[in-house]
Amino acid sequence: MAEAIQKKLKAEVEKYAQMQKDVSKSMSARQKLETQLAENNIVKEELDLLNSSNVVYKLIGPVLVKQDVDEAKATVAKRLEYINGEIQRYESVLKEMEKKSEQHREVLTSLQQEFQKAQGLAAGKV
Amino acid sequence: MAEKGQTNVEHLGGVVRLREQHEKVVKDCESRMQHWRKVSGDYEALTDRLQTLPDQLSYDIMVPFGPLAFMPGKLVHTNEITVLLGDNWFAKCSAKQAQKIVDHRMKYVKNELDDLSKTMKNFEARVGFAKDLETISASKGDYVDIREEVGNNDSALTKGKQRIAHKPNSKPKLDVVWDLKEEDEEDEGERGDGGSRKGVMTEEELWARLDELEKLEELQDEQDRLSDNADMNGEDTSSSSSEEEKEAEAAPPVNGLSLKPSWSSISDSKAPLSTDRKKDDEEEEDNCLPTIFFSHTVEPKKVRINTGKNTTLKFSERKEQKEHSKRKKKNGHNNGHCHHELHKITTPADIYRLFVDVKNGEPIPRKSILKSRSRENSVCSDTSESSAADFEERRMIGRSFSHDEHSDTSDGITEEDSPTTVPLQLPSRYEAFSGTVIEKDPMPSAVPHLTISPPALPTILERKQEEVAPDVSPPQQLPKRVSKFKAARLQQK
Repeated sequence: MAEAIQKKLKAEVEKYAQMQKDVSKSMSARQKLETQLAENNIVKEELDLLNSSNVVYKLIGPVLVKQDVDEAKATVAKRLEYINGEIQRYESVLKEMEKKSEQHREVLTSLQQEFQKAQGLAAGKV
Repeated sequence: MAEKGQTNVEHLGGVVRLREQHEKVVKDCESRMQHWRKVSGDYEALTDRLQTLPDQLSYDIMVPFGPLAFMPGKLVHTNEITVLLGDNWFAKCSAKQAQKIVDHRMKYVKNELDDLSKTMKNFEARVGFAKDLETISASKGDYVDIREEVGNNDSALTKGKQRIAHKPNSKPKLDVVWDLKEEDEEDEGERGDGGSRKGVMTEEELWARLDELEKLEELQDEQDRLSDNADMNGEDTSSSSSEEEKEAEAAPPVNGLSLKPSWSSISDSKAPLSTDRKKDDEEEEDNCLPTIFFSHTVEPKKVRINTGKNTTLKFSERKEQKEHSKRKKKNGHNNGHCHHELHKITTPADIYRLFVDVKNGEPIPRKSILKSRSRENSVCSDTSESSAADFEERRMIGRSFSHDEHSDTSDGITEEDSPTTVPLQLPSRYEAFSGTVIEKDPMPSAVPHLTISPPALPTILERKQEEVAPDVSPPQQLPKRVSKFKAARLQQK
């Protein structure tokens, strides 16, 4: 009885660990997105400051590719939106994962209690 | 102390961790600030460069060629600057435009620096506080954590051995009272509310104590005034203390006493306490010995009433209280008796006027209102023989003592004065009772004892002598604290 519970406990613990990893991954991705967001905001501001006379380049690999100012502005704006969307998505995913992990935690604790009880019983028996 | 030490250790651990965390944050802030400062420095250099660059069309420079070599070269297109906008976006701008961009970025960097410095300040403050806390917890340094245990007071109160600072000449008869109280509760075991009362009374006791102390002050003032007027300081105080004793004795419920119902009916545990205390307040003299002194007798009586139990001044005080209440009642509104005016007590002298013994058909002023010429005249309805006898004895004893101590002038006065019909005499000594007292009548008898503080009287009477129904006289006396003697004088005139 105790062993069965122990096995269960182990399995649950592993699941929980996995969940935690996922959560952390999502978190890091979200953070990255946040930095990108900030940067793109700066770019947007800078582009706004510029007038149309000067030329805008985009660095693609080792190549500086000329871009139109308006195009650049549009691109940057689109990127910003994309980043925002990504962040929101990640946030929702994160929430769900949190909930799941909570449930898992509860299951874990209950299992632990059972296990301890069983252990106690076993010790008593022995 | 062990507990304290333990808690301190725990606190210390927690505080140390807190401090460490704070310090971490501070360090982090510091590093970031350094980074931003570097950036700011770079930008400033850049600004300078941008300003000087367009001065010439081209510059001869040593161009870095790899990490280790330089090559002589020329710097051309001095006004064309490719600016990195972020996220792999570039823009070609003139120097001035670049300058604008740089300024813009500088602003941003400055903002960041300011925020960081603020944060760092905050956390530095927190670190300092944590350090202080640490020193306090470790009980080192100059700071000492002052902690007071709360439970002591309660225990002291419940034990009844609380020592409270009283005014001089107002030693609290708390011990007595409290002991009596405890005895009360023991006696009242059958009542069932003793235990609960005790438990309930801790706070109530406190409040009652406060009230009593206040009244004590008032009484003390009254006493002083009376004593000054009467030139019988000793008597007054002694009598007051004697009264206090009596009251204290009366406080504990005496089984079989008619006053008992009044006591027991006082569901408010404050009542007995406060009454005790009031009488204590009134006569806070002699604490070591339970003594009874009457404020209006010439002779301060040291009456130690031992009713066979542990120095419980039970019965006699009750008796006296009853007498007083009855007298007072008599003074007040005598249950329809017509000698309302006669018994109207406005000055202490009135009380003595009321203490009239009827002997041979003639009202004879009594020397001492404590003393009852005839037991049947005794106010206390349930006069147990022993207690009454004891009471009488003690009063005699007290009288003898008092005679030794004080002059008999006041006695003489009391003797001379006619009973109820005599208008209020205001001798210089207020303890002189100018009339005889018919004890049996329901009289507000508590007045003489409690005259020292008229305001206190009513309440005491009301509380203690519910059955005796003190009413008019107390209220009368309550508002007329000042006018009482005036009225007496008026009456005299």
